Amino acid sequence: MKISLDWIREFVTVDIPRQELLDRLTMIGLVADTVEERDGDAVLDLETYANRPDTLGHLGVAREIGAMLGLSLNEKNWPLAELPQATTEIAEVQILSESLCPRYCGLVVRDVPVGPSPDWLERRIEAMGLRPINNVVDVSNYVLFATAQPIHTFDFGKIGGGRIVVRKAKRGETLKDLDGRTLELTTDMLVIADESRPVALAGVIGGEASGITGATRDVFIESANFDPVGIRKTAKKLGLSTDASYRFERGADVGFAPQAALMAASLLTQMGGQASRGLIDVYPKPHQPKFVRLRLRRIAELLGVDVPESFVVEVLGRLGFRVEGTHKGVWRVEAPTFRVDVGLEADLIEEVARFYGYDRIPSEFSPVRSFDLSVNRKRERLGKIRQTLLGQGFDEVINWSFADPEKEAAAGSGLRPVDIQNPISSRASVLRTTLLPGLLENAAWNLNRGLEGVHVFELGDVFYWEGDKHREELHLGLLTTGLLPGAGWTSAPAETDFYVLKGAIEALMEALRFEPVAFEDRDHPHFEPGQALALLYKGLAVGCLGALRKSLAAASAGDRTVFAAEVDLTSLFEKTPRIFQYAPVPKFPGVSRDLSFLLDRGIAYQEVGQALAKLNPSLLEGFELRDRFSGPSIPAAKVSLTVRFRFRHPQRTLVAEEVDRVEQDIVGHLRSTLNIQLREGKIDNRT
Amino acid sequence: MADLKDRIEGLRKAFEAEALKVGDAKSLEELRTAFLGRKKGHVTLLFEDLKTVPAEDKREAGRQVNAFKTFVQDGLLALEGKVRSDGRPARAMDLTLPGRKKYVGAPHPLVLFQQEIENIFLGMGFAIEEGPEIETDYYNFEALNFPPHHPARDSWDTLYIKDDLLLRTHTSPVQIRVMEKKKPPIRIIIPGRVFRRETPDPTHLPMFMQVEGLVVDEGATFAHLKGTLEYFIRALFGEKIKVRFRPSFFPFTEPSAEVDIECIVCDGKDPSCRVCGGTGWKEILGSGMVNPQVLKNVNIDPEKYSGWAFGLGIDRTAMFAYGITEMRHFYENDLRFLRQFGAK
Ligand SMILES: [Zn+2]
Repeated sequence: MKISLDWIREFVTVDIPRQELLDRLTMIGLVADTVEERDGDAVLDLETYANRPDTLGHLGVAREIGAMLGLSLNEKNWPLAELPQATTEIAEVQILSESLCPRYCGLVVRDVPVGPSPDWLERRIEAMGLRPINNVVDVSNYVLFATAQPIHTFDFGKIGGGRIVVRKAKRGETLKDLDGRTLELTTDMLVIADESRPVALAGVIGGEASGITGATRDVFIESANFDPVGIRKTAKKLGLSTDASYRFERGADVGFAPQAALMAASLLTQMGGQASRGLIDVYPKPHQPKFVRLRLRRIAELLGVDVPESFVVEVLGRLGFRVEGTHKGVWRVEAPTFRVDVGLEADLIEEVARFYGYDRIPSEFSPVRSFDLSVNRKRERLGKIRQTLLGQGFDEVINWSFADPEKEAAAGSGLRPVDIQNPISSRASVLRTTLLPGLLENAAWNLNRGLEGVHVFELGDVFYWEGDKHREELHLGLLTTGLLPGAGWTSAPAETDFYVLKGAIEALMEALRFEPVAFEDRDHPHFEPGQALALLYKGLAVGCLGALRKSLAAASAGDRTVFAAEVDLTSLFEKTPRIFQYAPVPKFPGVSRDLSFLLDRGIAYQEVGQALAKLNPSLLEGFELRDRFSGPSIPAAKVSLTVRFRFRHPQRTLVAEEVDRVEQDIVGHLRSTLNIQLREGKIDNRT
Repeated sequence: MADLKDRIEGLRKAFEAEALKVGDAKSLEELRTAFLGRKKGHVTLLFEDLKTVPAEDKREAGRQVNAFKTFVQDGLLALEGKVRSDGRPARAMDLTLPGRKKYVGAPHPLVLFQQEIENIFLGMGFAIEEGPEIETDYYNFEALNFPPHHPARDSWDTLYIKDDLLLRTHTSPVQIRVMEKKKPPIRIIIPGRVFRRETPDPTHLPMFMQVEGLVVDEGATFAHLKGTLEYFIRALFGEKIKVRFRPSFFPFTEPSAEVDIECIVCDGKDPSCRVCGGTGWKEILGSGMVNPQVLKNVNIDPEKYSGWAFGLGIDRTAMFAYGITEMRHFYENDLRFLRQFGAK
C-alpha cells in the first residue's frame, strides 16, 4: 500500500524525522520503505497484513501513528451544499440479498461539472501511482485511499428508473465493465442493478454503460458494505482484483459507509455540484457492538511482563477502542467497527504489546517441566542409514518431490501418480512415485560437467494412488555409475559395479540390524532382464536393485552402466529387527580351510550357501567367499570359487581328523546336490 | 588368475636378480625401461593383459598388477639412491607424499543444517515430530485459524491435489496433529519439506525445508519465546549476534512476531546489500503466542494453557549462514557444491 506522508498529515500532525518515523513504525509492525520523493512529499511503500484492512487507507495508518506518538487525530470538516430535494424523492435503494450486502448508503450530486480535478487532488491521486481521470473518478479514488472505504460513482442519468437494486445476478446476465470486458455473471454473484439490468459488479467493478463521462450531469454516490467471502469468490471466479475488491474481501468498515459517502459528496459540491438532502442508508441489521473482556492479569500471564494499567487504557483509547473498567484490573472493551480483526482477548493483548514494545518484554528461558518420553526410532534409523551410506562413499542429494509425467511413465514404476491440479509447469505436474528419475538427473547433471563417477543416495517420500486413497511412503534411493571416488597416487581409479551397490545395501541392513536379509532374482521394470534382485526381509520384498535398463539410463549416463536401488523404508520400518545380543568370544582356537571348487556357471553362489545351510555340518562356524574366477585354465562353462571355511569346537581344540571328516561331508554334499567339484584345498590356518 | 599370479611371481624374481647387477645410472635406466617402458615394459604389458580378464576377476587382478608396479617403483627408487652421485643421501621413504584417505560421502547441506538446528533444540528438551507432506485443507489451514476464502491464504500459495487435499504449505499442520494426540506440556520441533506455488527466483522455490517449533504449557509466555529463540539464534550464529522482535501477523499466533538478526554480510552499511537491502536486518523467523482459537480447535483449554510457536526456512537460513546466493543450488545436486559440505 502506498502512503503519502503529506496526506498522513491531513489526519495527524507528525513532525519527527522521516527515518525515525520509519524505524518506529517497524517496531509496531508497520514495515515501510521510502519509494519516491515528489514536491516535498515522501511516498512510502507499506507492507500490510490480510487481517488489517483498516491500514489500507491513510486514516488508519494515521491512527496507528497517533497511538504510537501519543497524538490525537485532526478534526476535519466536510461541508455540503445541499438541494432542497431529499435523496429519497430522487432515488430508491433496495437490498434483496442482505447477507451479501449488510449496508448500502447513497446520495445524488446534481450538476457536477465533470472535468479535471484541482491540483491538490491530482497530486494525491498521482502519489498513489494512478493517473488522474476526471474530478468524479478522482474523488472516489481519493475517498478510497484516504479512508479504505471503496466508493462507486454512477452516471445517475443512466440508472433506469432511479432505482438501485442490490441482488444476485440472474442466469445468463452479462455486464460490460469499465475496462470494456464483458463479464459472464453467475447466479452466486452480487450485482448492483437498476430497474432492468446490472449496472455494476458489486464491490468489484462498475459497468461501462453507467460510468462517468464528459456528458454526465448527475452523479449517484454509492458507499456500501459487502460480504468479504462473496466478494472474494466473485473476484476469483472472474480473475479480477481491484482496489475495491481487495479492501472488501478483507473487510470494510461497516460503520464508516455514511461518512465516506458524505466526504465524496462534500468534495463534489465544492467543485460545483449540489447534493440531494439526506442520505439513503439501508442498514437492515445494524452491527452489534463486539465486547471483549480484557484482564490485566492475563496480559502479564501471556507477555511475561507487567504493563501499567494506565498504559493499557491510553493505547486502546487512541486506537479507537472503548474501554470501560468493570472490576479491578478487568475491562469491557468495545472494538471499533474498523477493527474487523479483533474478537479475542489475545487480539487486545497484541495491541498492548505492539505499543508497549516487544523490545521491552524480557527474555527468559522456557522452563522444562517434563520431557517427551516417546522414542523416535525412525529418526534414529535414518541417522544410521545416512552414516552407513556416507561411509560407503555415497553423497547425499535432495530432489524435487514433483516429477515429469513422461519421465515417470518411462521409469515404469507401475504406480498411479498423484496429479497436481495447479502445477508450476507441465514438467512438474505429478508427484514422484519413485526416487530413480531424480537420481538419474543427478547423474546426468554431474557427468555432463566432467565428473567421472556419480554415487548418490536420497531419503524422501514418494506418492501414489491406491484406489481412491493416496499413499505416502518414505523411500531410500541409491545410484552408482562410473569411476569410484577415492583413488589416490597409490591406486588406480576403479569402476563401480553391482557389488558396490549390493555391499552398500548389505552394510546398511546390518547397521539397522535388519538381519538376515535375502536377495532373490526378480525382474523389475527399472532394470535389465536377469540383472535385478529383490531385497527381502522376513519374507517381505522391501526393495529392488540391479543394472538399470539401458534405454532408461542412456539419456543420463550415455553408455555407462548405471546401478540403482530403491528401498521402501515405510514397509521395512514396520518390521521389528531382531534384538541384538552379543556372542561370547571363542575360548578355543578354530581352524579355517580354503577350498576351491569348480561349478557350472548356471549355479548361483546363493545356492551353495543354501545347500550348506541344509547340510548344517557340525563344527562349521561360518564360511566366506575368498576368490572367484574363470578363464583359460578352467573349462569355459565353469567357474572357480575359493571358499574359506571356519571350523571350531566350543569346548576344546579341534584335531585335524575331525575337520577332515566335516570337510569331506561338505565336499560330498556339494557334489551330490549341485555337481560341484573340489579343485584344490586343504590349507590349514589356525585362527 | 592363477596364470597371472605365476607370471608376476616370475617377473618379481627377475627384477630382484637384475637389481643386484645395477651399478651406475645407465644400467638403472635399462632396468627401468625393461619393466616400466611405455611400449614393451613388463609392467605395461601386464596392464595390457588386464583388459582380457573377465569382469568378475578384474578387481583382484588389477590389485595384484598394481601391487607389483609399486614394488618395481620402490625398487628403482632405492637403487636410484645407491647410484646417485650428487651427494644427497637417498630417502628410504618420501614421507612428504600425500596421505591415503578413504572417501567418505558428503551429507546434503540442508540435512546438515537441519541437524544443527535439531541438536540445539534437543539440548533444550524438545522432541522431534513429523507429519505427512500431502495434507487436508483442515490441518493445513482451517484448524490453524485460516477461515475458508480468507485473503490470508494468499501468502501461502497452495498446490492442490483435490479440493480438500493439498501439498502442505508449512509444517504447522503437524502442530495440530500433535496437539490432537498429546496432552500438554508439549515441547516439539517439526522439520520437513513444504510446498508453495511460487515462481522460482533466487530466494523462492516451489519446494523448500522448514522447521517449526511449538511449546504448550501452563504459564508459557512471550518472554519465554524471546529468551528461547534468542538462545537458539546465538547458538547458531554466535554469541555476539543482535536479534530483534517486531510485530507481525500470522493467523495461528496472537501476538505474532517476526524475528530479525543483524546482517552479518554488511553490518547494515551497504545500501545495495543483497542480503538486507541496507536495512542492517535480516528476517529469519516468524513466531508468536499460539492463537487461543487454535488451542480450542484441538480441545486444549486456553485459560489453563498457553503456547508459543515459531517457524523458519532452513534453506534461506543456510543460505545466509554459508553465503549462498541462489536457493536452487540445494536442489541441483552438483557434487562440486555438495562435496564442500563433507570431508573432501
Ligand atoms: Zn546487509
